[in-house]
Amino acid sequence: MNMTHALLSFACHAYAAAAAIYIAHLVWQWRQLPVFGRVLTGLGLLAHGGALFSQGLLSQGAPTGLDRGFSALAFLLIAIFLFLDLRYRRAVLGVFLTPLALALLTTSLLLPPEAAASGREVGARTPLLSAHIAVALLGVAAFAVAAGVALMYLLLERQMKGKTFGVLFSRLPPLHFLDELNRRLVLLGFIALSITLLTGAFTGAAHGPAWQWRSKEVATLVAWTLSAAMLQARLISGWRGRKVALLTMAGFGVLLISFLASYPLAHDALEGQ
Amino acid sequence: MSPLWCLGLSHATAPLAVRERLALSEPRKQALLERLLPACSEVLYVSTCNRVELYGAGSDPELSLSTVREAVAAEAGAEALEHLYEHKGDSALVHLFRVSSSLDSMVLGEAQILGQVKEAFEAGRKEGWVRGELTRACSAAFSTAKRVRSETAIGQLATSMASASVELAKKVFGGLEGRGVLVLGAGEMAALAAKHLASSGAKPIWVVNRTFDRAEELAATVGGKARRFEELAALLTEVDVVICSTGASEPILNRAKLTPVLKARRYRPLFIVDLAVPRNVDPDINRLEGIYSYDVDDIQKVVIDNSRARSEAAAEAEAIIGQEIARFVQARAIREGAPVLTQLRSHAQKIARAELEKTLAVLGSSLNERQRQSVEAMANAIVNKLLHSPTTKLRTAAISTPSEPHPLLGAAVELFGLEVTPLPLAERSELELEEAAAEVLTGTGTQR
Repeated sequence: MNMTHALLSFACHAYAAAAAIYIAHLVWQWRQLPVFGRVLTGLGLLAHGGALFSQGLLSQGAPTGLDRGFSALAFLLIAIFLFLDLRYRRAVLGVFLTPLALALLTTSLLLPPEAAASGREVGARTPLLSAHIAVALLGVAAFAVAAGVALMYLLLERQMKGKTFGVLFSRLPPLHFLDELNRRLVLLGFIALSITLLTGAFTGAAHGPAWQWRSKEVATLVAWTLSAAMLQARLISGWRGRKVALLTMAGFGVLLISFLASYPLAHDALEGQ
Repeated sequence: MSPLWCLGLSHATAPLAVRERLALSEPRKQALLERLLPACSEVLYVSTCNRVELYGAGSDPELSLSTVREAVAAEAGAEALEHLYEHKGDSALVHLFRVSSSLDSMVLGEAQILGQVKEAFEAGRKEGWVRGELTRACSAAFSTAKRVRSETAIGQLATSMASASVELAKKVFGGLEGRGVLVLGAGEMAALAAKHLASSGAKPIWVVNRTFDRAEELAATVGGKARRFEELAALLTEVDVVICSTGASEPILNRAKLTPVLKARRYRPLFIVDLAVPRNVDPDINRLEGIYSYDVDDIQKVVIDNSRARSEAAAEAEAIIGQEIARFVQARAIREGAPVLTQLRSHAQKIARAELEKTLAVLGSSLNERQRQSVEAMANAIVNKLLHSPTTKLRTAAISTPSEPHPLLGAAVELFGLEVTPLPLAERSELELEEAAAEVLTGTGTQR
């Protein structure tokens, strides 16, 4: 456990340093900065992965408590970010995504560990449930990144429409790039959510009716419908840009509720129990 | 001295419809200038898409101007007279300098105007419409424009406007490869911006102009194709970037026109640069979804987020023009004082030579070659020493009152009984002017 904690602490510091570097890169355009950021993020991701793996071994499966959920979400978010950064070389994404991941991981570290505390689902842990949780988290992470990208889009568009050309204007990637990235991330999120809903129905069926109108089910369904509608509107009516960016952020908000509702700690608060 | 005058209309004073009526075809221009020449000793006709101007010089500027005004009214209707501006004397000179240096352009510092004035000048010289006074003025204006271009940041302003348009477009689309461009109007800056876009990979490039010939001309220079004005709506649906620089006095692109276009485009982003003054694009349309519309002021914000640098560049340019005007006026004053000075000198030399010949005839054979040379030298020295003070005084006097002959010059003529022909300039220096003109046109003009 100490080892895990050390790894998590390292990851947290690495993300924080990377976030600081990415933000500094906004002001000072030194070419080495993104490289440092990338290396730090990568190292943090490795440590983070190691910690999650050892925790997973201990609890024989996917993350259980809300703290693990936040941690895993941060991990996936950083993983997606690192992939995008390596693929597109857009270090500026880090300005928005690393702080978000850092906030998630910090929250996770501040939450009381509840792995063994809640016995609610531990007994029912099957490979299907593990997959269900992992894919659900991937969906939320994809939407988190999409929301970050949407925020960048909105900020850049605001400067471009308002003709106030600040630092962000010169640093942010083109609108077309952000919009296209949003489309891909929402598509990824949509696929992940579809699988989540399907696997959820099967894992839930073990305990009674497949659909019980629980808050996480409703929220996930809303988010799924929203992403389906977004992808559809893009194809059919040529929706794009600002509208889609706003919807993406709304979708992320809804998914966050679904995510929180999946864990007893937050679920009880949401359901008013 | 024959004072300069200038009369014209530009994007700042006249709507396109009026300017177009004065943008004459070659034969009509010929006819107009032939008609003007009896009243004005020389005339220069400058026509670009943003201005039509006539410059001239003659002993009676009032008569010239009224003749020109009548001719303009005959060509473009009496209504055109309301939009005219006029400059006389040194103010016309200042105007010519400012126009050539692109300080009076729609887009401050655009480079094409200098070439256009040079072309007009060249044509005028070939036809014999442009002679001494205008040649001198133009040559000074051109070298001033060069100075302004090389010594201030004003020239970079225009190129950087074009590349800033490209940067902005890239901020919307990412790469520009395969993005269609519509150039609306055949203004100078539009051509420059279109070239920049083309070199970033944008294509195809369509050029639309009310006069199809001009569209074809521009299309040829930017590697695009000319299309008819009627196809505007269809083209707007097709392209991604629109550059406007027409001389229309009312916006061509407005909400009513673009709303159906946007729908047909399925809200694909449309990037619009409006380089025209007055604006071709209603600023209101920037609020429409997917439209990114920028006018000259907006783009200049990108170029130099400091409008201070811009006004600094303009102020520097104005200062250079001030210096060059002063230099020109001074040179002119010296030139106008020069006949008196040369007359005075040749008068004195003539006397000295006559006396010398008389003396040498008497002494003749008794002098050896060396002695002979000493006597000649003495005669020249006396002339030079005697004339030194008066010539210096006269030269200073001429410079001190550049706009009119100094009384001392008259006194010198009177005292020494000189015979100065009233306006010997044009004839006397025709050869020298030919050389100057050749220098100006080949671009080898002396840069100061």
